[in-house]
Amino acid sequence: MYKTEVLLEVKDLKTYFFTDDGVVKAVDGVSFTIHKGEVLGLVGESGCGKSVASLSIMRLVDAPGKIIGGEIIFKGEDLLKKTPEEMRKIRGAEIGMIFQEPMTSLNPVYTIGNQISEAILVHQDIGGEEAKKRTIELLNLVGIPEPERRFNQYPHEMSGGMRQRVMIAMAMSSNPDLLISDEATTALDVTIQAQILELMKDLQKKTGMAILFITHDLAIIAEMADSVAVTYTGKIVEYSDVRTVFKNPKHQYTYGLLMSVPSLVAVETKVELPAIEGMVPNPYHMPQGCHFNPRCPFATETCRKEMPELKELEQQHLVRCLHPVQASKEVV
Amino acid sequence: MANELTLEEKSKGRESYSYWGLVFKRLRKHSMAMIGFFLLLIIIAVVILGPLIWRVSPTQQPEGMEDILLSPCAAHPFGTDEYGRDILARFLYGGRVSIFIGFMAAISSVFFGTVIGLITGFFGGKIDTVLMRLVDIMLSIPTFPLLIALASVLGKGVWQIILVIFVFGWMGDARLVRSVVLSLKEEEFSEAAKAIGVSPLRIMFVHYLPNVMAPIIVSTTLGIGGAIVYEASISFLGFGVQAPLPSWGNMLQHAQDYIFTHQALVWYPGIAIFLTVLSFNFMGDGLRDAMDPRLYR
Amino acid sequence: MRTYLTRRILQLIPVIIGATLIAFFILSLVSDPFAAMIENPKIKLADIVRLKHQWGFDLPIYLRFFKWFGSVVVGNWGPSLLYPGYSAREVIFRALPITLQVMSLEFIFSILLSIPLGAISALKQYSKTDYSLTLFSFFGMSMPTFWFGLMMMIVFSVWLKRPSGVPLLPPGGIQTPGMESAAFLPRMLDRGQYLIMPVIVLSLFSVGGWVRYMRSFMLEVLHQDYLRTARAKGLTERTVIYKHAFRNALIPIITLIALSFPGIVSGAAITEYVFNIPGMGRLVLSAELKNDFPTAMIALTLSTILVVIANLAADVVYSIVDPRIRYS
Ligand SMILES: Nc1ncnc2c1ncn2[C@@H]1O[C@H](COP(=O)(O)OP(=O)(O)O)[C@@H](O)[C@H]1O
Ligand SMILES: [Mg+2]
Repeated sequence: MYKTEVLLEVKDLKTYFFTDDGVVKAVDGVSFTIHKGEVLGLVGESGCGKSVASLSIMRLVDAPGKIIGGEIIFKGEDLLKKTPEEMRKIRGAEIGMIFQEPMTSLNPVYTIGNQISEAILVHQDIGGEEAKKRTIELLNLVGIPEPERRFNQYPHEMSGGMRQRVMIAMAMSSNPDLLISDEATTALDVTIQAQILELMKDLQKKTGMAILFITHDLAIIAEMADSVAVTYTGKIVEYSDVRTVFKNPKHQYTYGLLMSVPSLVAVETKVELPAIEGMVPNPYHMPQGCHFNPRCPFATETCRKEMPELKELEQQHLVRCLHPVQASKEVV
Repeated sequence: MANELTLEEKSKGRESYSYWGLVFKRLRKHSMAMIGFFLLLIIIAVVILGPLIWRVSPTQQPEGMEDILLSPCAAHPFGTDEYGRDILARFLYGGRVSIFIGFMAAISSVFFGTVIGLITGFFGGKIDTVLMRLVDIMLSIPTFPLLIALASVLGKGVWQIILVIFVFGWMGDARLVRSVVLSLKEEEFSEAAKAIGVSPLRIMFVHYLPNVMAPIIVSTTLGIGGAIVYEASISFLGFGVQAPLPSWGNMLQHAQDYIFTHQALVWYPGIAIFLTVLSFNFMGDGLRDAMDPRLYR
Repeated sequence: MRTYLTRRILQLIPVIIGATLIAFFILSLVSDPFAAMIENPKIKLADIVRLKHQWGFDLPIYLRFFKWFGSVVVGNWGPSLLYPGYSAREVIFRALPITLQVMSLEFIFSILLSIPLGAISALKQYSKTDYSLTLFSFFGMSMPTFWFGLMMMIVFSVWLKRPSGVPLLPPGGIQTPGMESAAFLPRMLDRGQYLIMPVIVLSLFSVGGWVRYMRSFMLEVLHQDYLRTARAKGLTERTVIYKHAFRNALIPIITLIALSFPGIVSGAAITEYVFNIPGMGRLVLSAELKNDFPTAMIALTLSTILVVIANLAADVVYSIVDPRIRYS
């Protein structure tokens, strides 16, 4: 799909939660590849395991969650084999991460200057003064006006958009090769959201870093990503480059998702095609067979018995569906 | 802490059964709560059934000096006190008195505190300012010396002690309930209810009260333990329940004089108070955990 | 910050007055100071009549309160009826330092013990350490202070003796007779022996509760998003816990400690009574018992002021720890 060197390769990752009420297979055999400078979109309804997958890459899954299988090859080495200390040195330095909630993701009792510099100081061998200089540069870089003054402000003195810029500055502080953005703009107003996306795109171009871009919003994927992996109940159901997926969605779930975004759907097709019905299944009671079958209009007896494989349906286009969408039902 | 769950159930109706079902289920898994519950069950059974089985008068003072401060023997398994009264009988009756005082004082405090909290939280304005100032003031007085003073005015009956503990006990609950009501006022259903003209009283009792149930239940449970300790402390100083009627507290009134010679006088009531309060604290903690809305994400 | 403090102080004044008023009414119901005076041969009848007027006992109670309050403010605290021949001021200033000593020791001891223990309990949630600390804190919360005092006495003053036959720790009092004029160090060591039990007894209750609360505040903080951010930055676990988690857990515990202050004063009263310590608590109780209205009232007022000052101190600490307060 992509021509440069491989940066991150996730192979058959499984992260389960062992709760009192049963085992939740939040991520169940997920594989994807991110090349240097690539933006991979991970998309799916809420509860499909996107956050857990990204936290697994950072090895930050909290109990009762546990990574029980797979490999996460980053720059040729398996992160799951690293010691905690080695892993810590990678976090924030080679992989940066930003989160959904700008309101709660910053520590309320420290200035933002403090919180950014500490990320610099922990990974780079420089003094306090220099870290401060670098922090102010970063604040500038992410488009925060009056960075010297902002340096000494507390999170509660900033708007959501500004805080998210601070989060980006923090994640960018050591020039990571990979940035993970987990619904980073979901909680923001539409206009702010557009600005932040613009900023991320801009930074990506400047630095050439790769981004794992997580969202449930397909419109954002269309704008940001090079390739896209659609997840459903902890599994990838469709995976290809962004043009292919949007032009020629094969999985019924992808298709349904696309239909539900008015701006992406051609006017004449919109009428005959309803959005997906029903809800994501209860994680404790997954349906037999294809997990999507209760919501799928084309499900057959086989769909209710066996989980289909993720197969290369066309070149570089992986789909986990026995009844893929016919080409004529093209959208966009 | 806005009890989102109870809130949701209100609108869904049927599911409120499953909320309490869930609480019950969690409570059963909470080992401390269960220990507390069974311990309390035993204690209550002992103080209720005990006097029916051990039919010795707790108040009768024998003539003469030979029965005074006896060590445990067949006739007096716990020995006798400084007036020659049977300690076991006093212990069993005293438990009834102490636990009764604890229950009544805690329930009346919580009841009054809840009413005040509902009113201040709901109406706001001047009523709120005045009553909350009163709460602030009463919370910054070291209550114990005043408790003693009030006890000495009111007299030494069981109901008087309940009243004294109640007078200084309701403020925390008022604050608690008020804060819950204030956060509920922000919720949409309050606005909606007001908009369609539901009467204030109805909103207060039908919509808010169920939502403060969880913290109130916890507070009552912990409050009973606290009230038992208060009764004991007041009685220890000699302002509590008037002898010869026994309570676990007034059994300790002269205990200090006997620590060198007759330690049994100190042991029995003290251990009983400790275990009773402990079981209420265990249960309160379990209830708090079981009803914590954050656990049901 | 300064305006914030000024505002808080101004808010506290009505609280002090209100609390004093309530205490005044309750105590007026209890005690008739003149009953005790009439029995006291050292006080002349003419003085009593003069005092009756001076204290406003010829006035309705609310006016009497203001009269009393006015004379207290100007420093006229009246005679002590409990200790004839002394003024209430003398009696109180003899008792106050002792109480302050006991309370500040208990306060420092409790904080130093409960905050780390609570944090450890949370960090090792569901471990043996956590369960032991939980049991310990329930033990502390459920133990009636006075009874625990008696138990301590039985153990350390009755059962355990020194080779010389003297109790291991003195069962009460504050000083060995004859030590008043000793050098500083031996005098302090002597004082220490007397204070060990009361301070432990008084601390147990606070420590029990605070450990429990610190644990739950810490657990709450440990689940916050900003800790995930801190870890995602690659900070060491040490920094994550001590810099990011601990500081935030301190914010609610400060409020809690301030709220428990009146309880400590009450607890101190009964502990002083049990251990026969001539402090304020004991003074209030005996003044009430003996109808010494002037002394009891002043002692109660001072205790209230102590509580209010503690709340103010908590506010200051709070505003230092939590930047959100400073600017609001
Ligand atoms: N701490 C946890 N305990 C139990 N289940 C969890 C926990 N965290 C996440 N899950 C489960 O993992 C699944 C995936 O969650 P998540 O990755 O947050 O979804 P997404 O980010 O795609 O919205 C969900 O079904 C959720 O219920
Ligand atoms: Mg998510």
